[in-house]
Amino acid sequence: MDLDDKNQQGQKGINTKVIKQGLCTGCCACVNLCPSMEYYKDKTTLVHDCNLDKGRCYTYCPRTPTNLEALRHELFNSRDIIWEIGPFKGLYMTRATDENIRAGAQHGGTVTALIQLALAEGIIDEAILADQNDQLLPIAQTIADKDAVFDKAGSKFVVSPTMSAFNRISQADAGKIGVVATPCQALALAKMKVNFVPEDKMRMEKLKLVLGLFCGWALDWRKLQKLLKEMLGDLQIKGIDIPPSKYACIEVYTTDRTMKIPIDKVNTCVRDNCNYCFDMTCEFADISVGAARSPEGWDVDKGWNQVIVRTALGEQLLALAREKGVLEFKAVPDKNIEKLKTASAGKKRTCLMNLSEKTGSLDDLIYIDPEDPVVRYIRGMKLG
Amino acid sequence: MENTLRCDPYNLIISGVGGQGNVLASRVIGDMMIYQGYKVTIGETFGASQRGGSVMSHLRISNRGGFSPQMPKGTAHMVVALEPMEAIRVLAAYGNPEVHVLCNTRPIQSVGVICGEQIYPEKKQIVQWFESLSEDAKFFDTTKEALNLGNPVFGNIMAVGALSSTGDLPMSLKVFEQVILKKIPADKVAINLKAYKIGKNLISDK
Amino acid sequence: MLSILLENKNGFEALLMGNDAISRGALEAGVNVVTGYPGTPSSEIVEQLAKVAGERNLYVEWSVNEKVALEVAAAGSYANLKSMCVMKQVGVNVAADSLLHIAEYGTRGALVLVSCEDPGALSSTNEGDSRPYAKMMEFPLLEPGDFQEAKDMAKWAFELSSDIRNIVMLRSVTRLSHASGNVVMGELPKDIPEAIFEFSGTPMDQMKGPVLAFPTLVDPLRRRQLEKLSKAVAAFEESVFNTYVGPQKPELLIITSSVCQLYAREALTILDLWDRVGLLKLGTTWPLPPRLLEQHLSACEKIFIVEEGTPFLEDNIKVLAAEKAKQVGIKIFFGRKDGTLPPVNELNPDLLIKGINNIMGTSFQPVSDDYSEKAAEITAAVALNRELTFCPGCPHRASFWLIHTVLKLDNRAGFLCGDIGCYGLGAGPCGFSTIKILQAMGSGIGMASGFGKLDMFGMSQPVMAVCGDSTFFHAVMPALVNAVHNQSDMILVVLDNSGTAMTGFQPHPGSPASATGSKLPILDIEKLCCAMDIRVEVSDPFDLKATRQILLDLLEDGGNPRVLILKQPCALSPIRKGRKMYEMAIDANRCLLDHCGCNRLCTRVFKCPGLIWDTQKNKIQIDEVLCAGCGVCANICPTGAITAERDR
Repeated sequence: MDLDDKNQQGQKGINTKVIKQGLCTGCCACVNLCPSMEYYKDKTTLVHDCNLDKGRCYTYCPRTPTNLEALRHELFNSRDIIWEIGPFKGLYMTRATDENIRAGAQHGGTVTALIQLALAEGIIDEAILADQNDQLLPIAQTIADKDAVFDKAGSKFVVSPTMSAFNRISQADAGKIGVVATPCQALALAKMKVNFVPEDKMRMEKLKLVLGLFCGWALDWRKLQKLLKEMLGDLQIKGIDIPPSKYACIEVYTTDRTMKIPIDKVNTCVRDNCNYCFDMTCEFADISVGAARSPEGWDVDKGWNQVIVRTALGEQLLALAREKGVLEFKAVPDKNIEKLKTASAGKKRTCLMNLSEKTGSLDDLIYIDPEDPVVRYIRGMKLG
Repeated sequence: MENTLRCDPYNLIISGVGGQGNVLASRVIGDMMIYQGYKVTIGETFGASQRGGSVMSHLRISNRGGFSPQMPKGTAHMVVALEPMEAIRVLAAYGNPEVHVLCNTRPIQSVGVICGEQIYPEKKQIVQWFESLSEDAKFFDTTKEALNLGNPVFGNIMAVGALSSTGDLPMSLKVFEQVILKKIPADKVAINLKAYKIGKNLISDK
Repeated sequence: MLSILLENKNGFEALLMGNDAISRGALEAGVNVVTGYPGTPSSEIVEQLAKVAGERNLYVEWSVNEKVALEVAAAGSYANLKSMCVMKQVGVNVAADSLLHIAEYGTRGALVLVSCEDPGALSSTNEGDSRPYAKMMEFPLLEPGDFQEAKDMAKWAFELSSDIRNIVMLRSVTRLSHASGNVVMGELPKDIPEAIFEFSGTPMDQMKGPVLAFPTLVDPLRRRQLEKLSKAVAAFEESVFNTYVGPQKPELLIITSSVCQLYAREALTILDLWDRVGLLKLGTTWPLPPRLLEQHLSACEKIFIVEEGTPFLEDNIKVLAAEKAKQVGIKIFFGRKDGTLPPVNELNPDLLIKGINNIMGTSFQPVSDDYSEKAAEITAAVALNRELTFCPGCPHRASFWLIHTVLKLDNRAGFLCGDIGCYGLGAGPCGFSTIKILQAMGSGIGMASGFGKLDMFGMSQPVMAVCGDSTFFHAVMPALVNAVHNQSDMILVVLDNSGTAMTGFQPHPGSPASATGSKLPILDIEKLCCAMDIRVEVSDPFDLKATRQILLDLLEDGGNPRVLILKQPCALSPIRKGRKMYEMAIDANRCLLDHCGCNRLCTRVFKCPGLIWDTQKNKIQIDEVLCAGCGVCANICPTGAITAERDR
C-alpha cells in the first residue's frame, strides 16, 4: 500500500483504503467534520462524494496509515512503553466506592467514578460517553453534570458514535472535554492531537482527558438484532453481559428474566473490522480501564476493574480518586500483568496476520507500518 | 411579392437554453414571414430541453416551400443566440465563413460549470471564436435590458427586434404588431412592442 | 386570443406546428371525441383540441392511460361518432391489446389513432416504431410528409376510416409534430351527430349488432377485416399523398415516407440530382399499393429506401419486389440494412447527402476543411454539453437527495427502481444517480415488487421504487396491487408534484379539473393506497429533516410493501411559477467554499441551477434570475451560510 499517495488523502482514500478494505470501525472520527460523512446504526457512511485530495477525514482516521511510533513519542514518555500494552505507569485493581455505581456498572464502575470525579474537580467541563437506546444502539452523550453520568454506566457491545460528538462539541463552544473512548477512538484522538490541521488547533486544545476502555471486539448491530430476534423474538431487552469464557455464552436480560445465547452464535456477529485492530488495552489514553481477570479465575475479581495508568494526568486522577475515596483499591496479583501482556500481544499478532493475509504481503499492513518497533517486537516473539 | 430575402432559402438559427423563450421568438419570426406571403419551415429541438438543456430552432424562409426542418450542416446564414456558448455550439455545426451572428452576452452556466466539472470560457476567448467562425458578429446584453423591463424572458423579443435591424428579412414594426396581436394576451402586447423596439435599437446604436 | 385552429376562412394560410396541423385536420373532418395520454411529441394535439372543445362541441379527455384512451375513443366510434385517440409511440404498446380487438371487429363512426413517434429518442427512452402494428393487426397506416399533409391526411384518415369501417393509424414523428410550416386551411364542418350505440342486429352486423369478439366469430371477423384492407389498398393506389418527382427512367429511385421526404428533397436539390434521381414519396405505407410500386420499381434498378425507425418500408418493399420479380426484375436495394444509412437514430439532410453520394459517386462539401478544422478545434477545447437537470426549485431534487442519503446511510446496498417522467433524471447526476433501473412507465414498481420477493434466494438489499402522480394512475396501481397481494418487501415513493409535469401539466385522475378545464373530483392517492391496507406516509420533500426520518423508519420497517407520498407542486406549476417561498442569500463569512469541511456541497453535489459558483470571484452566489426560492439549499448547507428568509 502506497502510504503517500498524494491524491488519495481525502475521502477517496478513506473509501479505497479503509471502507472498501473492511477496516472502518465506525469510530466517527470523520463524522461532523463535513456534510459528506455520516454515522447511522453503527456504521460510518460516505453519503456524498468529496473530491478533495486531502481531508481531515483521512488525516484523523485511525485506519489510515499511521506512524504509531511518532504518536507514542509525542504523547507519552518513551521510557514508559511496554511493547505489548503500550505506555505504562502502573497497573491497579479498583472499583467504585459507591455501591450504587457498582450496581449499575458492568464490572467495578471505575469509569463512572473517574468521570464523575473529573467533572466534580473541574479537570473537565464536559464528558462524552456512550449510552444506548432500547434497541442496544449506542448514542454518544455529552454530560456536564456529574450526577447524570450514573445512568450511562454499563458496557456497550456496539460501537458508539463518540467521535462524532467530540467533533461536534469541540467545534462549538465547549470548555474542557473528557472522552471515554474505545481503542480506535483513542487512536483517532491521538492523531487529532498530534496531526491536527491549523483550523483544528483551538478545538484540540479543549481535549483534556481520554479515558480508555479495553476492547476485544464490538458486535455488528444489524447482525446482533437479527440474532436476538431469532433467539428471543420480540422480547424487550434491557441489557447484555458476557460471563467468563468457560460459560461460553452471553447473557441477555429482559424485563423479567435472563436468557443465555451461546458464544459461537455471538461470534458470528463480531464485526470483521475488529479482526484488524492492533490495540486491546486502549494504549492512546491517559488511563485505560477493563474488567479484572486474575490468574486465579474470573470469580475472584468479579466486580473489580483493572486500570492501566499511562500519563501523568492519569496518575494524578487516580491519586485524586484514592485521596477522595471514590475508588477502592485492591492489590494486583503478580501474574496479572503477564496475563494482560499475553492477551494483548495475541490481539496484535492476530491483527498483523489478518492484515498480511488481506494484502497478501508481510510488508503491506495497510494502515500499520511494518517497521514499527511494536510490530517488529510482536513478530519476533516466540509463541507459546 | 417583392423578394427582400438576403438569400433564398434564408437559413436562420435561433439558439438558447430552455426557458429563454426561444420557441416564441422563432414562431413570431415565422408568423411575420408567412404574413408577408413567404413559405416557412421551422424545426425545433426541445422536448426534454426545458430542463436546462439547449434549445435550437431552425428557420427556413423562402419563396418556395418544402425545406427540411433540420437544415444541412454548414448552411446557416444567420445565428441569433440568446446565450453565447449556445451560439458557439451552433456555429461549430451549422456555421460557415459567411454566417452572421447576433448574440446575447449573458452566460447561462450549465450544471457542469456550476458543479465545477466544466469551465465556462472567458469572454475574450468566446469573442475570438466568434471572429474565427463568422463573417460578422454583433453582441448585446438583452438580459440586462429585459430585466429593466421586469422579466428576463423579454430577451427573446428583443433578439427578434435586433434581427429586424439587420435588414436581412422584411420585418417592419407594423408586421410585428399584427403578428403578436394574435399570439399573446392583449395586456402583454404593449410591453412586447417595447421590447422589440429596444432590441431593434440595441444593434443600430453600434 | 382566438385559437388558430378555429380560423374559419377557407384557404387561410398560417404557420402551424405539425401537431396543430393534425388537430386542424381532425376538426375539418368533424371529430367529436378526442382522447389521449400525454407524451412528447404528441401532447399538443389533445391540448389544443381541448382549448377549442367548447366552440367545436368536442368531448376531449386525458385518459388514465393509452389503452383506456383507445377504448374511450372506440366507444365514440361505436356510438357513430368520429373519434381520435392520440399517444406517443410507447403508448401504442399499452393500447395494443384493445387495438388488436378493435381492428378485428372494425368501427362504426370514424376512428383514427394518432401515434407521434420519436426517432432519435429526443425525448424518449426508446426509438419505438409502431408502424409494424398496422401490418401485424391489419389496419391502414398513413404517414404525412409535411405540414400541409399533416392537416390534409388527418382529415383524410377520418374519411378512409368511415369508408372501410376500420381504425386508421396516422403516424407522425418529432420533426413533423414539433416543427412548423405553412398550412392552408380548409372548411370546418357544421353538423353535430347524435350518439347511439345499437345492438339489435346479429354479431356480424357491424353497424347494428353487439360488438363481440367470440372464438366462433374470429374467422368471419378476420375475413371481413381483410376485405377492409383490400378496400384501403384500392384507395391507396389512387391516393394523392403518394407522389413521384423525377425523370421517367431514373438512375436511382428513392422511396421514402414521412418527414424523411423533406430530407431527401433537400439532399437532391443540394446535389443537383433531380434529373438523375427519382423520389417516390409514400403517404400510405401499409398496406403498400402494389400497382404503384410495380410501376416505379420497373423503371429503375437501384432502389434507396429512406426511413426512420425499423426497416419497415424496406422489408415490405423487398417482399413486394420479390412477389413482382417477374414484372420488375432484379433490384439492388440501399437503405438502413446495408449501411447506406445508419441503422439507428433519426435522419437528417446531411445523412441523406452522404448516402446518395455513396450510391451516385457525387460529392458535397458545405464548408472548407479549414473552417471545419477550426470548428472542431473549438468544440474540442470546451465541453459544450448542457447536461439535463431538474429545474431550480424542483421538488424532485430534494426527493432524490433524501432517497440517495437514506439508501447510503442504510448501508445495505439498497437501490431505487425508477420510471418515466421528469424524475427519470434521478438516474443522472442531478438526481445523485439514485435510480438504478429505468425502463417503461410503471415498470419501476413492478420490478421492485419482484426484487422484494427474492429474499428466499438470499437477497437482502432494500428495494425502493419511485413514480410520479400521473404514472401512479397510468400503470403503477396494478403493480402496487401486485406488490400488496404478494406481500413484496419494498417501498414505493410517489413523487406527487400535482400534474403531468414533464409534458406540460396535463390533468390526471388526481387533478381537480378535466382536459377542458371543467371541475372534476380528485382521486386521492393516499386514500387509494390506504385502501390497500398497507403503511402509507405523506410528507413534504422540502422538509428534509422530517422526510428523512420517515424514509429511515420505512427502511427499517421491512417485510411488506410500504408507500411514501412526497407532495410538493412542480416549480413550473401554475401555483408555484414565479412565486418564491423564500428570498435566498449567501453569508460569505460563513461559507467554507471548497475547503475541507464542506467542499461546495451546494454547487458541487446538490447542483441546483439557482446557485452559481463564481470561480473568478471565488464565491457562491444565488442566481436571482433562476432561483425559485424553495429554500432547500439553506437546509443542506452545513455552516448556515445559505440563508432563507420567508418572502412577503
